[in-house]
Amino acid sequence: MQQLWILPLVVLAGMGLSVEAGLLGPLGEQIGHGWATLGIFGLGTLLLTLGLVFARPRLGRLFGKPRWMLVGGVLGPVYVGALTLATPHIGVGLTMVGILFGQVAASLVIDHFGWFGAGKRPVDHYRVGALVAILGALWFINI
Amino acid sequence: MLIIMLLLVVFSGAVLCAQSAINGRLGAEVGVLESAWLTFALGTLVSFLYAFLFEPPHAMTLFTVPRWQITGAFFGVLYMLVIVFAMPRVGTAAATVAVISGQLLMSLLVDHFGWFGNHVIHLGSSRMIAIGLLAVALVLIYKSNAAEAVTKRTQAITG
Repeated sequence: MQQLWILPLVVLAGMGLSVEAGLLGPLGEQIGHGWATLGIFGLGTLLLTLGLVFARPRLGRLFGKPRWMLVGGVLGPVYVGALTLATPHIGVGLTMVGILFGQVAASLVIDHFGWFGAGKRPVDHYRVGALVAILGALWFINI
Repeated sequence: MLIIMLLLVVFSGAVLCAQSAINGRLGAEVGVLESAWLTFALGTLVSFLYAFLFEPPHAMTLFTVPRWQITGAFFGVLYMLVIVFAMPRVGTAAATVAVISGQLLMSLLVDHFGWFGNHVIHLGSSRMIAIGLLAVALVLIYKSNAAEAVTKRTQAITG
């Protein structure tokens, strides 16, 4: 870990995610949650397609993979859609902490059963502790 | 309403985790840009189908709202590029904790100041306690990821 200057960059990128959520909530209220979600994915796709045209795309490889590996794309809108739906009601902070809770909990379950070809791993006590702390944070953010 | 929304958000966090597990595999095998493109392309397809079939008409549309309101997409793509660049250089543990710190910090700021047309939720004493608990959680997540990296390395050495 010699390149410490990268870390502030990563923190900024994380802040960007909350800006995205902060923009999405009011947008969804105005034009509909479905359209707001489409706006995010539509623009993202256009930008990435532009990038791919100038890179060396090997899109054909995607379809040589087992189909379950491709469903990640279908799951994306669940997250963005939930952001636009939830932030106007519960705020960006609670939304982000809730998502963090879901992520850590799911990572424990995925590791335990070894889903998605990642290999089984025993329950990690650090992450259980983290989960408890996040649950406490959820409680305190609410009051 | 609060409980329903909270359940929805926790569920979507779990879905996000499953997605990154799947996309991680895919990205390693076909390339990061390719797998990101597929994620966004399929996301566009699914959200268009949903919006076109089920969304009731609104006074404003995607094309009439002020442009700055739809700039969220840039942050998503930028995030992806930064992560791809940073992960191998600083390690998963540090990168994960840095992302979450930035995310949580900014989300509390957006709430506190009501930026971008959000409701104002003040950063009171109970939220300060929550920040303390989240800091504990981040330390534990860092330790967990660091321990995992060590396990993987030992496995690689011992075969």
